[in-house]
Amino acid sequence: MTDTYQNHQRKYFIFAGLLVIVAFAVSLRVGRFPLSVGEIVAIFSGGEVSDIARGVFLTLRLPRTIMAVLAGAGLGLAGSVFQLVFKNPLASPDIVGAASGANLGAAAAIILFGQSVVMMASFAFVGSMVVVFFVVALAQMTRNNSTVTYILAGIIMKAISEAIIMIMKFFADPESELAAIEFWAMGSLGAITASRLIGILPFFFAGFVGLILAHRHIAILGLEDDESRTLGVPVKRVRVIVLGLASLTVAAAVCLTGLIAFVGLIAPHVARLALKRISFAWCVLSALTGAFILLVADSFARSIATVEIPISILTTFIGVPILLYFMRNRRAGKI
Amino acid sequence: MSEPLLSLQDVSVGYGSKVVVSGVSFQVRAGEFCALLGLNGSGKTTLLKSVCGLLPLLSGSCLAGGVDCTQLTEYRRARHISYIPQRHSKLLGVSVLDAVMMGHYSKLGVLEYPTRENRQVAYEALEKMSMSHLAGEDFSRLSEGQKQMVILARTLVQSTPVTLMDEPDSALDFLNRRKMLGVVRGLIHSEGKAGLVTLHEPGLAIEYCDYLVLIHGGKVIADLRLATASPAEIEECLSQIYGKITALEHKGRYVVLSD
Repeated sequence: MTDTYQNHQRKYFIFAGLLVIVAFAVSLRVGRFPLSVGEIVAIFSGGEVSDIARGVFLTLRLPRTIMAVLAGAGLGLAGSVFQLVFKNPLASPDIVGAASGANLGAAAAIILFGQSVVMMASFAFVGSMVVVFFVVALAQMTRNNSTVTYILAGIIMKAISEAIIMIMKFFADPESELAAIEFWAMGSLGAITASRLIGILPFFFAGFVGLILAHRHIAILGLEDDESRTLGVPVKRVRVIVLGLASLTVAAAVCLTGLIAFVGLIAPHVARLALKRISFAWCVLSALTGAFILLVADSFARSIATVEIPISILTTFIGVPILLYFMRNRRAGKI
Repeated sequence: MSEPLLSLQDVSVGYGSKVVVSGVSFQVRAGEFCALLGLNGSGKTTLLKSVCGLLPLLSGSCLAGGVDCTQLTEYRRARHISYIPQRHSKLLGVSVLDAVMMGHYSKLGVLEYPTRENRQVAYEALEKMSMSHLAGEDFSRLSEGQKQMVILARTLVQSTPVTLMDEPDSALDFLNRRKMLGVVRGLIHSEGKAGLVTLHEPGLAIEYCDYLVLIHGGKVIADLRLATASPAEIEECLSQIYGKITALEHKGRYVVLSD
């Protein structure tokens, strides 16, 4: 049984890995300035290629595609971690306010500094971490460290963040600021450049690698608190660290891209329907699934219309059929 | 006489300012299976939770293998005392083997990961419970009896000198209840561990345990080592909380009837 299951698991990992590689390769080519395979090979091999093609590829296309992989993988991994820690299949990366805080920070930056991408990203990141900090502080203040307390504290902080965003929208200039706040909340990878990507990498990897290293501790948080404690888990400390790492990953991803709907919620479900088990492998497959969905969504976002389509629209329309496929085939017993 | 592995001295426990258990003292020796008997609300579960560190002691001491467990962190305490709760977690989608592997947690460092040997130990624990054929199955899809056996296998992996069980038989049917208690008793006797179990059914306690501790109103009102007890002594002891009862001997075992 176990060997059969491992083969089943391996099959999905190979399949998901191949899909990500193909989507990555396609993503490098498509866009308003399409690049041929020959041009991409020439850039890597030092061959002859136009300066425009080289510039587009190295400063925009490659960083953007890498960001799509990282943000998708980060949201997929964080989503699976939140679902496991909160024992709730509807838990998304925003359950402790990471996305709402980013939205609040970005809106504040737009009002205060106009549409400076660097300021929006910096404020979004700080806003996200501040809101998560308040959620953790509220939960600690109640001295009732259960997951329900975190969910309630998350609801409170999200409501406060949204109320402040509404105040800012109310006073915002409808032509420029209001539109920018709304557009940021729909997400886009259009603002990614090599330098901006490098700027968020340390934060992203601190969160992402931290979650990977903590996988043994995360798995055991799926138990009820008393049961975890009697197995030796310092539940309060581990939960705060894990939520902090997951929120750091999400904040580092969305501060540059804006809000990305659905990936953090749907990727863990697709991975679970495929593997049928909750384990570290599930978290990794969820990360691969998130990366694939975002790569495909971003490729469409910059190629199906003359203007760039907000990413959240596409992640939803791509994610839903994938989930429906797995749900249908699972019921039919094909997977 | 074997040494005491679990020793409670003048233990008082409560919730906030409300004292639920007070002045409890008793010892469980190596290789001894002790039943904590009492009516609903007598303080059995509260006492058990305080012994395994889920509730702080108001006063008194609790030694496991000579170590004062109240002074230890959860991580250290889990090397001395294991606990099987009344209701275990759902663990949706977690494989049986992974559920058993969780028993290794307190023996691994923060950034240490289970090895192939750890996995083998977990598999062997499942084999002892005759559950190894279900190693890859989804824990949440097992029957209640099978789940209890898996949790027991996890306790074996945790490998502590003292094991506490809070009504582990409550969700089990007639046969599984006896099977589980028989397995637990066998392990405690063969591995020289100390077991403390809360039970509602005095007949099961007499049949499977070596030592009875009766708790009423948060205090220990009687205790009895069964190896040397006569039917009359058992009746007298149990009648202090269950009213008038009769202990009938049948093929070397006792059946308890309420009059």
